[in-house]
Amino acid sequence: MALTRRGFVQTVGIGAAGALTSSWIGARGRENAIWSAVEPTLLAVEHGVIVLASNENPVGPGTKVLDAVKAAFGEGGRAPGRYSNQSRDLIDAIAKKQGVKPENVVLGCGSTQILRSATHLFTAKDKPLVGTIPTYEECAGYAEMMGHPVRPVSLDADFKIDLEKMADASKGAGLVFFCNPNNPTATYVGARAAREYFARVNRESPDTTILVDEAYFDYVTDTDHDTHIPIAIENPRVIVARTFSKAYGMAGLRMGYAIGHKDTIKKMADWDGGSGTGSLNVLAMHAGTTAIQQDPSFTANERARNKAVRDFTMKWFADRGMKPTESQANFMFVDIGRPAKEFREACLKKGVRVARDFPPFEKTHCRLSFGTMEEMKKAVAVFDEVLGKKTNAA
Amino acid sequence: MSVSRRGFLQGRVLPFSGAFIAARGMEAYQADAAQGRGGRSLVPPGVKEIRISSNENPLGPGKAVLDAILGKFPEANRYPFNSTPSDSTLTAAIAAKFKVKPENIVLGGGSQEILKNAVRAFTSPTRGLVTGAPSFENCPGTAKKLGHPIAEIKVDSAFRLDLDGMIAASKGAGLVFFNNPNNPTATVHGAKAVADFVARIRQSSPDTVILIDEAYHDYVTEPSYQSAVPLALETPNVFVTRTFSKAYGMAGMRVGYAIGRVDTIKPLAKLQLPFNLSVFGVVAAIAALGDQKHIDAERDRNTKVRAFTLNALGEAGCKSADSQGNFLFVDVGRPAKDFHDACAKQGVVIGRDFPPFEKTHVRVSIGTMEEMEKATAVFRSVLRPISTSTGARIEEASWR
Repeated sequence: MALTRRGFVQTVGIGAAGALTSSWIGARGRENAIWSAVEPTLLAVEHGVIVLASNENPVGPGTKVLDAVKAAFGEGGRAPGRYSNQSRDLIDAIAKKQGVKPENVVLGCGSTQILRSATHLFTAKDKPLVGTIPTYEECAGYAEMMGHPVRPVSLDADFKIDLEKMADASKGAGLVFFCNPNNPTATYVGARAAREYFARVNRESPDTTILVDEAYFDYVTDTDHDTHIPIAIENPRVIVARTFSKAYGMAGLRMGYAIGHKDTIKKMADWDGGSGTGSLNVLAMHAGTTAIQQDPSFTANERARNKAVRDFTMKWFADRGMKPTESQANFMFVDIGRPAKEFREACLKKGVRVARDFPPFEKTHCRLSFGTMEEMKKAVAVFDEVLGKKTNAA
Repeated sequence: MSVSRRGFLQGRVLPFSGAFIAARGMEAYQADAAQGRGGRSLVPPGVKEIRISSNENPLGPGKAVLDAILGKFPEANRYPFNSTPSDSTLTAAIAAKFKVKPENIVLGGGSQEILKNAVRAFTSPTRGLVTGAPSFENCPGTAKKLGHPIAEIKVDSAFRLDLDGMIAASKGAGLVFFNNPNNPTATVHGAKAVADFVARIRQSSPDTVILIDEAYHDYVTEPSYQSAVPLALETPNVFVTRTFSKAYGMAGMRVGYAIGRVDTIKPLAKLQLPFNLSVFGVVAAIAALGDQKHIDAERDRNTKVRAFTLNALGEAGCKSADSQGNFLFVDVGRPAKDFHDACAKQGVVIGRDFPPFEKTHVRVSIGTMEEMEKATAVFRSVLRPISTSTGARIEEASWR
């Protein structure tokens, strides 16, 4: 089968409305998994490579959570052989932590499943998806696959979500994907401005649903920071997505959830809810139950650890005249003045893996996830070598 | 809630309705569980539950798998494609097992993801689903949500899938779901019958896709049975699903796959949920594939306990369909619900209702020998008097 990734991507894009949409897919990210059946993965991670490519928490979930996984093996190691009903305890724990009722929570196999369900339910051939470009591609990719139109909205000069443009584009939309902080640009829209935007969409386009992706919530240090969960539980047109893949350090376990109005949540659960017999595995559910009941100092410590590394890395680039956007996440988006591909390949040869292309900025910008401080000190030495060299970029 | 499970099976389209949930199918349970809803157990507090309701391997996955999971702890923070081995390593390992290419495999979060996506990919409002009655409900559950037509063909007098009936119904259908062995009846069709079934559908309805679900493949002892994987690889529009949830003892890990020709399974690859497998599921499955002895031992163990249970029920006057799975479909001569509830009060939880046989038959999964010795004693005590339905119904969470 000679089908190339790009060829497949273009096939998927047929029938989609937005002119810019195939570049969303071209931006990649989802496809390592999606196309794995068709092609081998892009890059295997070799031992010793510093991975700064996927916005993971480099430290992991901590011993308490891993102990819970071990305990979940059960008597004689038999429990993984059973379909699990652990989802009830997990939902209760999430509801308690977020101050909502269990009916406001639905689980997903990563927030990926949440993003897909929302796109499935709230977009249609005549109800477009709205999202910034670039942003996390799951919703746009799925909408394109379904043949639902996608309306991309460019960011402002600071690479932040442009709320005016978003409000205009949201009129008549089925779903707005509002990723805040935004992946891959790492920028953040303050809670007050976001609330005003939601209210405006509700007023001007009452049938439009807004999916607020708070995947990087725990990494934000901006003073005007707040979750939009209180709005979501009251308003059937606002949904908040969360994940255990980022600050909780559990990307490998595949668990996320949505919080919203009970009617909206029920729709999502009935269509495709992750659960004991769905795609959520029993070990992940035990891990999640333990993780979310931990003392809040767990996420506070991870936030502080990340901030120190973030400050160090951003300063390193700024000192060399390369401007990063204002990062509020565990990654940064930086103008390196040359194609990301060139930089990426050169770094990989020296044992550091950075992220893929993010059109329309793939000719100038690169996304870097933050590893540990030790990893970043090694990584910047590699960046120094790679960026110090004269490249043949246009 | 007065809507019966029969209503569910008769193909009324009630998307997202309470009635759908009340039907208590597997899909409904899943939606419940995803929201933490669901019923309470009838098992009295303090009574140790014997769970023989969901066709699980009672012993779990074995040491090689558990060790592999423990070894993966340092990569719990990594996405499956960033971990070593990655999900593509698992695809390659499955491909090697069958001597096919990785592109002949699509991974699923359990085979249920594949089944769901098959209905999405291959059925439409004009091209329906053909399935057995009773058979595993994932496919019809999905078709119902989508509002696509469903033809449910009652099993034959030996509780086997009705080949002629299904062939006739397949003309112009989008998808045929062929569960072999069939859950819940546990019966199997031999290799020749399956090949003939496929050939006849190919002839009368060449665009129809045939999904042969071999979830219970590793438990079959009937000599005429063979896997349809070679058939799928040489026949367009045919594919096989397998799971790690049964003999491999990993129901909680959510790993399954489809195998077939690239053109046939490509739509499943397209619909696959990104990052659908956990890093634990990936290494567990890789380790399990490398431990065939564990699977052979599990088949032998199941065969022995199955024979014991068949015999015990036979002596109590209850006839079972010919079981080729890790479960039995037994005529208890009374409503499944009465039998189920009476057993649950003594700590033994068996399968749910399976229309159109819910007035006479129950499905009993095969636990360990020790569990089945206890369970058959409970069955005997319950079978002695003819029980009547008790008053208030308490919903029981049994889901496969």
